[in-house]
Amino acid sequence: MSKTALAPALAGKRVLICVGSGGVGKTTAAASLALRAAADGRKSLVCTIDPAKRLANSLGLSGGLGNTETRVPATALEPLGIQSRAPLYAMMLDMKQTWDDLITRVAPPDQRERILSNRFYQSLSTALAGSQEYISMEKLWELRRRGEYELIVLDTPPTAHALDFLDAPNRVLDFLDNEAAKWLLSPALKAGKFGMSLFNRSGYVMRALAKFTGTEMLQELSNFMLAISSMNEGFRERARGVRQLLEDPSTGFVLVTSPHPERMDEAIHFHTLLKQHRMEVVSLVVNRVHPMPPEALWEDAATLTPTRRAKVEETLRELQVLAEQDRTGVEQLQAACPGVPIVQVPRFELDVHDITALWRTGRYLLGDEALE
Amino acid sequence: MAGLLDKRLWIVSGKGGVGKSTVAAALALASARAGRRTLVCEVNAQERVSRFLERPAAGPEVTLLEENLWAVDVRPQEAMREYGLMVLRFETLYKTVFENRLVRYFLRFIPSLQELVLLGKIMFHLQEKLPDGRWRFDTIVMDAPATGHAISFLSVPQVLVQTVPPGPMSREAQKMRDLLVDPAVTAAVLVALPEEMPVNEALELHAALRDKVNIRTHAAVLNQSFPERFTEADLEALLGHPELHHAAKAHHDRAAQAVLAGTKLERNLHAPVFTVPRLFTPEFGRDAIEQVMGHLEPLVTGEL
Repeated sequence: MSKTALAPALAGKRVLICVGSGGVGKTTAAASLALRAAADGRKSLVCTIDPAKRLANSLGLSGGLGNTETRVPATALEPLGIQSRAPLYAMMLDMKQTWDDLITRVAPPDQRERILSNRFYQSLSTALAGSQEYISMEKLWELRRRGEYELIVLDTPPTAHALDFLDAPNRVLDFLDNEAAKWLLSPALKAGKFGMSLFNRSGYVMRALAKFTGTEMLQELSNFMLAISSMNEGFRERARGVRQLLEDPSTGFVLVTSPHPERMDEAIHFHTLLKQHRMEVVSLVVNRVHPMPPEALWEDAATLTPTRRAKVEETLRELQVLAEQDRTGVEQLQAACPGVPIVQVPRFELDVHDITALWRTGRYLLGDEALE
Repeated sequence: MAGLLDKRLWIVSGKGGVGKSTVAAALALASARAGRRTLVCEVNAQERVSRFLERPAAGPEVTLLEENLWAVDVRPQEAMREYGLMVLRFETLYKTVFENRLVRYFLRFIPSLQELVLLGKIMFHLQEKLPDGRWRFDTIVMDAPATGHAISFLSVPQVLVQTVPPGPMSREAQKMRDLLVDPAVTAAVLVALPEEMPVNEALELHAALRDKVNIRTHAAVLNQSFPERFTEADLEALLGHPELHHAAKAHHDRAAQAVLAGTKLERNLHAPVFTVPRLFTPEFGRDAIEQVMGHLEPLVTGEL
């Protein structure tokens, strides 16, 4: 059986980032890759976003996954009958905790409390859009810099828009590096009265903006910006680090999708963006592909009693339709992403979430097994 | 059971990949067929609804697809502009403020402003009136983002009411929240597949909508269900044909799983569950949507 493009990536890359829309099996793919890398002798970490307890359970972590890395017990691999040659770690990213840690690390001690208790910070760091994407990469950067793992596999939040993910560090950088932001901040930093300068200098424009958001809102926001401006350097350095990490040759993206037309459109869009950002797509993983039922089954079905034969033939016809749909989908995907290797993982009978299923997925990902 | 036709804002959500847009398109079509002027809103999406209905993409402008049915893709930039114009009233003032470099950077950093204007546009259409005083749209179908994003999207008014100081933004947020939580106006339809994760996500979404946003789940749709086909006797008889048995067993297990999923949803949501069978059509277009609509008729009319 020939190896897939994921085999050399798993042996050589330091970071693999699984991206794709929600519900395509990113978490499973990420966990399977890390499991396989560990089994092959590389100390690995899978960092997941999905609060799926089943992943924790299937890895033998009965206490669930938390924001710190936990070693997967060797007993978890027992059902596989294999002995892992290197340890496997897993963690589940807690967005809020990671934001708080970041502020604690980057902010000057006298500003910490002020920032952590600011209303804007609180909404920024919890449920609100865009911040998840940023903080997951921030965490990745930190883990990578510590250098404890030979391979880190990151499962990413299901992005509403592909761009949110790639754009997150740029957005922070843009904001800090922008001339407008500097202009806004610098006189304030000199005067030490950011809020005042904002309203005086911008006059008319700011008054109109205040009509839109309310004056107090602007004041509150300017207080927040003043507080975080003390962290500019720290943020800037980290955001640059994140961007470099994403473009680094030791980092690869694994674009996960399912053959469903909707998902594929998103995958194609994502692929285009990754290319534009000069990021390497190691492989496209098409999950839950229906294999074509072999011809012999029809001959076999013809020997059944009429009622059963009808039921069986209807089932085979349905499977055929699904297999044809998927095949067309995969062909379209290949045409839209020329030169990118595609790996297909079949749809298993039922959606099982145990270690055996992870291992089985891994065998297809690496090419030990392949769809006909 | 009261049908969806008693409500004006139908919010369709669920885990990614479960067929939210399919269900939204089918429900919108049913509403239009019932004679209601219907607007289906996609949120910064790839305009699947118009494609499913085999019509040209609507884009960011409200576009008539067919009799009684309009569609719009609500996008941040256009929505921000409309919202800004609505608040500031004058084009020149809007330009001075919103096209100011500084202000744009500033706005980008205001958390959830984007969600606010997206949701704001939808809520605006909900309250829009014709010159004769009737609603411009009787029904608004919101093809909402997937679970996690849906919760943060729909929580935005609530979050803003709590976080921003009193002012125009918080007043807007307050108005939106009042409409969202009004059970006489708003109904959530949660879509799931007969698989463990999508069902669990539907249950989580239900709890989050109830606790964080105060939106009630009106019904659930169990999409792509396999109907029962093989009896135990069939399976036994097929034991001599291992591969056929395998295919039949897989089908049988799927059908059993659909029954389980339906029961689990019904018990935990305390809301009716409508089953849509898996369709086996090579192309997923208008015909498919019409078929799905047929299965969802009772959900819309309330006549079981």
